Amino acid sequence: MIGHQLALLQRELWEHRSIYVTPAAIASVVLVLTLTGQVTVSAFGEGVDMAIVGASNVDDVHRRMALGGILGFVTSIFALGALIVTIFYCLDTLYAERKDKSILFWRSLPITDAETVISKLITAILVIPLVALIAAIATQLLVLMLSSIWVIIQGGNAGHLIWASAPLADMWISSLIVALAMPLWLSPFIGWFLFVSAYTKRSPLLLAFLPIFIVPMLEAMLPGRSHLLFNAIFVRTFKVPLFNVDEFSWFGDDMRFSMAEETISMLGSLDLTKFLGSPSLWAGLIVCGLFTTAAIYVRRYRDESY
Amino acid sequence: MTSLVIARNVSKSFGDVRAVDNVSFEIEKGKIMGLIGPNGAGKTTLLKAVLGLTDCDGELSVLGLDPFKQRKQLMQNICFIADVAVLPRWMRVNQLLDFVESTHPNFDRRRAEDLLSRTKIRKKSKVRELSKGMVTQLHLSIITAIDAKLLVLDEPTLGLDIIFRKEFYGNLLNDYFDGERTILITTHQVEEIENLMTDIMFINNGRILLDTPMESLAGTYVELLAAGDNAAAAKGFGPISEREVFGKSVFLFEGVSRDKLDGLGELHTPSVADVFVAKVKGAEA
Repeated sequence: MIGHQLALLQRELWEHRSIYVTPAAIASVVLVLTLTGQVTVSAFGEGVDMAIVGASNVDDVHRRMALGGILGFVTSIFALGALIVTIFYCLDTLYAERKDKSILFWRSLPITDAETVISKLITAILVIPLVALIAAIATQLLVLMLSSIWVIIQGGNAGHLIWASAPLADMWISSLIVALAMPLWLSPFIGWFLFVSAYTKRSPLLLAFLPIFIVPMLEAMLPGRSHLLFNAIFVRTFKVPLFNVDEFSWFGDDMRFSMAEETISMLGSLDLTKFLGSPSLWAGLIVCGLFTTAAIYVRRYRDESY
Repeated sequence: MTSLVIARNVSKSFGDVRAVDNVSFEIEKGKIMGLIGPNGAGKTTLLKAVLGLTDCDGELSVLGLDPFKQRKQLMQNICFIADVAVLPRWMRVNQLLDFVESTHPNFDRRRAEDLLSRTKIRKKSKVRELSKGMVTQLHLSIITAIDAKLLVLDEPTLGLDIIFRKEFYGNLLNDYFDGERTILITTHQVEEIENLMTDIMFINNGRILLDTPMESLAGTYVELLAAGDNAAAAKGFGPISEREVFGKSVFLFEGVSRDKLDGLGELHTPSVADVFVAKVKGAEA
């Protein structure tokens, strides 16, 4: 059972190279930009000296915040990349195998349809985010290393300015939590996409997104003007109980400069208890389970592929 | 003899169309059963039912299992090639071997590699880089290396050139078939499997027209080439088909002994294709 699952997950990585090619591409772009930026900045000798002196004089909290901001920005690019990869992966995975008829080969092996579809769900919920996270962490380390080299060349103290100041543990642990939690939060969409992929005969992208917009519109036009689905789809998506919104809103206003060290940690802005206790999370997981079951059912019982 | 496949009154309808209509047959262990029928005869539907890809009415048992409900167990002991080129095109040959090795308990990787080493297929190649013939070679090599009880082939050589087709059936007989294994095969190119089959089944409009061992085919069917008065006399024996070739009549008889026809003209054992055409036309007349 577990042997099968590992083989199936391995197969997803073979087939969908975008799972690791996309993060690798993002990493290269980030690194190239970092290098170009450093080379460009180096042309302004006096300004660089001032910057380094300035960075040394700034207090630890602010330096930590600045570095945290850069690292957080790098992570968020990877998160966005992973989101896009997940959408296209889910829509393609059960559709392409029917289109090229290879489903007949897969189904000639002693693997159940449930095992297969679950391997695709695990890929979307666990594998894609973790691959992106590993790539993000590796990129952060490389960016910090490049910056250290640059700072050393410019005569600064990289150990103090960079390594002692970067909130790495805080960043990584909170990124891991977000990488594990967000796919669960968005799981009803993942389930829906997998179902569309297993069900549709053409244009899965269109069929997946059209109802997401049209159904809430119809709902609003019906007598009673309910917003149940609108809330379930849009409001819920952007209001994630994982993030401590109050603290987030501090960013961008003047107060953040007077914050204490512990409040600027990413970890401090995550609220796992609130997240795990949210009925919305569990309702979403149930919806995901229903769509996944429907996808398994369609793959198992529909008789049109051959 | 044990029967691997037992079908009793099996039917399958799509709307008003009865694709398989009350069919009963058995396939015994160690046989090579050819399932012959025109397009739309119900061959593929019947094979799908045997492979558990579709449900059906009636009783169908394959290797003692209900194929639709017990697919996973069934697939440990059945292999099938549905058509050419269903192997995933993005996959590399060695990935394919890895995957089958870790998911199929009866797969002998060394045997597959040994079979592949005799071909031009390289392990680094992707399936999409291989020719149609090579894809089929690859598929057959994998399947030959699986210790399965029943192999189902649906038009396995469709779209292949004559050299690959000959080689395919040669390999099937030499490498795969060992007298223990059982094969169920459909094809349009009847003449190519004529010497391969041990049993034959004709199907048309969802019904079985003929189900017989190959060796009794020669005893039951006889072809007579006759002219003039002899032809008129031959008609008296009730041929199931008649056609003109170079001014002579060719009659096909079913169940008429050769002794009676002797002296009326040249007697031949008809080809499977001729018997098939006669039976299909006879059933439609």
